[in-house]
Amino acid sequence: MTTPSLGVRLDGRRLRLGAAARPLLPAGAYYAVFFAIPMASLFVLSFWRAKGFDLVPDVSLVNYEKIATSPLYHALLVRTVAIGLITSLIVVPIAFTLSYLMRFVFERWAQLILQLALISLFSGYLVRIYAWRTILGKQGLLNSTLEWLGIIDQPLEFLIYSNFATIITLTGLLIPLAVLPIYSSMANISRDHLEVARDLGSKRTHLVRTILVPMALPGIRTAFAFSFLLAAGDFVTPSLVGGTQGIMIGNVIADQFRGIGSNWPLGGALAFVTMALVLVIYFAVIRAIRWVTTW
Amino acid sequence: MRDVVKGLLDQKLNASFSRRRFLQGSAALTAVTVLGSPRSASAAELGGPLNYFGWDGEHGANVAKTFLDDNGIQLQASFQVSGDEALTRFNTGGRGTIDLMTPNKDFQRAILESGTELFAPLDMSRIPNAAGLFPAFKDASWLTKGGQTYGIPLIWGDEPCVYNPDKWDGVPPKYTDFADPKYKGELVMTDDPFGNIWVFAKSIGAEDPSKLTADQLQAAIDALLSVKPNIVTIAASFADMADVMVRGDASMGLAGWAYQTQIAKEKGVTLVVGTPAVDGTYYWEDAYAIALDAPNPDNAYAFIDFMTSAEANAAIATELGSGCTVEAAMPLMPAELTSIYPYDIVRQADGGLLGTQVVFPPQEADADIVPASAWVEAWQAFKLS
Repeated sequence: MTTPSLGVRLDGRRLRLGAAARPLLPAGAYYAVFFAIPMASLFVLSFWRAKGFDLVPDVSLVNYEKIATSPLYHALLVRTVAIGLITSLIVVPIAFTLSYLMRFVFERWAQLILQLALISLFSGYLVRIYAWRTILGKQGLLNSTLEWLGIIDQPLEFLIYSNFATIITLTGLLIPLAVLPIYSSMANISRDHLEVARDLGSKRTHLVRTILVPMALPGIRTAFAFSFLLAAGDFVTPSLVGGTQGIMIGNVIADQFRGIGSNWPLGGALAFVTMALVLVIYFAVIRAIRWVTTW
Repeated sequence: MRDVVKGLLDQKLNASFSRRRFLQGSAALTAVTVLGSPRSASAAELGGPLNYFGWDGEHGANVAKTFLDDNGIQLQASFQVSGDEALTRFNTGGRGTIDLMTPNKDFQRAILESGTELFAPLDMSRIPNAAGLFPAFKDASWLTKGGQTYGIPLIWGDEPCVYNPDKWDGVPPKYTDFADPKYKGELVMTDDPFGNIWVFAKSIGAEDPSKLTADQLQAAIDALLSVKPNIVTIAASFADMADVMVRGDASMGLAGWAYQTQIAKEKGVTLVVGTPAVDGTYYWEDAYAIALDAPNPDNAYAFIDFMTSAEANAAIATELGSGCTVEAAMPLMPAELTSIYPYDIVRQADGGLLGTQVVFPPQEADADIVPASAWVEAWQAFKLS
């Protein structure tokens, strides 16, 4: 008697689970077709070899060995992670501060500021990069203004075509994407929490570390994911404003999929190595944030 | 050579620029529109899809609009971002789905020489307008194999230096001369491993700059590195390179495109072209080719023949700021565009340098000659240095 009743219960749970999962089917199918299957194909391809204009099916680690032993790829991976981390470590605090101001200081203007952030996303990605070139260029807005004000005699050349320009441009591009999740998380934080903490003697830094950040952590995590992963994976921005050193691992991966001399299997292997590396760093940083907030 | 950079160019500035020009009524388009398009002699057999896979812009959607409409042909265009992408598409399920492609000279030569299946031999009796091609493009060595022709040239050009005449009187005789500190903060080049390594290999005396040993490749990279302190940026495309110069961020573009002078002119900036007297430059050409097992060969033949008419060739060459391949098209083009290309070489039967020059390295290593992938890697190391 016991067994059938358990079976009925389990069946009922299965039924409930099945019903709950049904709305996920379209999205699941979409991701299966347009993400999982292509990624799996790319993964399989990373074990193949390129021979002339042909792809040779194989089960070879030659591409991964090449990445493991090439100083070029090591340097590129370090550079990519460094630019991604620096960018996200600038973007997330700025987005956090903006979100805080919108939520708790300029609450009346929050929607307007949010809309402005959203509007900036409506302009094309390339257009925004070129806009930064207009601002940072040798004869750009910033240099012209500084010269007009008499602060400088010669244009500041490091402003454009440099790592600085890459990071600044990426920061400008990514802040709106980072503000949205953090503000969304903060919207659920009641003022009462902050006032109670203050009443109990909590200082501002302590309040931020132990209340604001933990409660906004889901948004911060998403913002960090957006900014770090997108910055580390970008290859257009460094190409357009990074100057003679405007190269990141994304550029090298792209090179493997186009043109004479391309090597799709090596490109696939590079993509997976990069993905693994940035995911490890992503989880390490999230863990570190969590540790700091509970310490 | 143009493969790496042309994708971005076509997708971004060139495409919008040329379409705007076109809609505003460029002279060449006007000629085509006013004259109308000749209805194909075999119109009864035409109609249905024409599947194009090639460079954006070279599908001639604007130039051939009337022709396509009149003949009930639906041009279904998708675009490559690299010169050899058509082969990848062809070999990964695309065979039997592609009608028309636009390979460049070196890629077509490499495919024909290697015996790789991709291009169908053309029935030249179905492309009578090909009789009007410049001598260099008739039976050109890179288009033919075993007495059969595999491509009909569409446009061509060279890659000279492009510079601001307010800053410079001309270009030095050799590319290695750009290492002179007087060029500091003034140079821009495109992100093109093959074109740049080729010219610097030539500059340091490589006999055949497309076939380099590892030591020669390293020597070419060293020569590039000696110039690197003077380089402002490595532009993503020809249009981007023009933009850098138009903004005044650089004043000398190495291995550029003559059409950049037109782009700059539209923005009120004067740029001129110059070729290092000792090192010279190199030439490119793109052609229409029909894929093996093309599903709509009738449409493809009729389209190629139309695009090889003087009016259409002038219009597409004008739209893309390039050299025309049909002799009678030249007078129909703006003089400022025809004047920037050395048409004397295409009047020669062998095409002069256009016919003999090879820029792309071999795809596979050949004895001590390094393959194209080594060039790409060396270029990446150059950029990272």
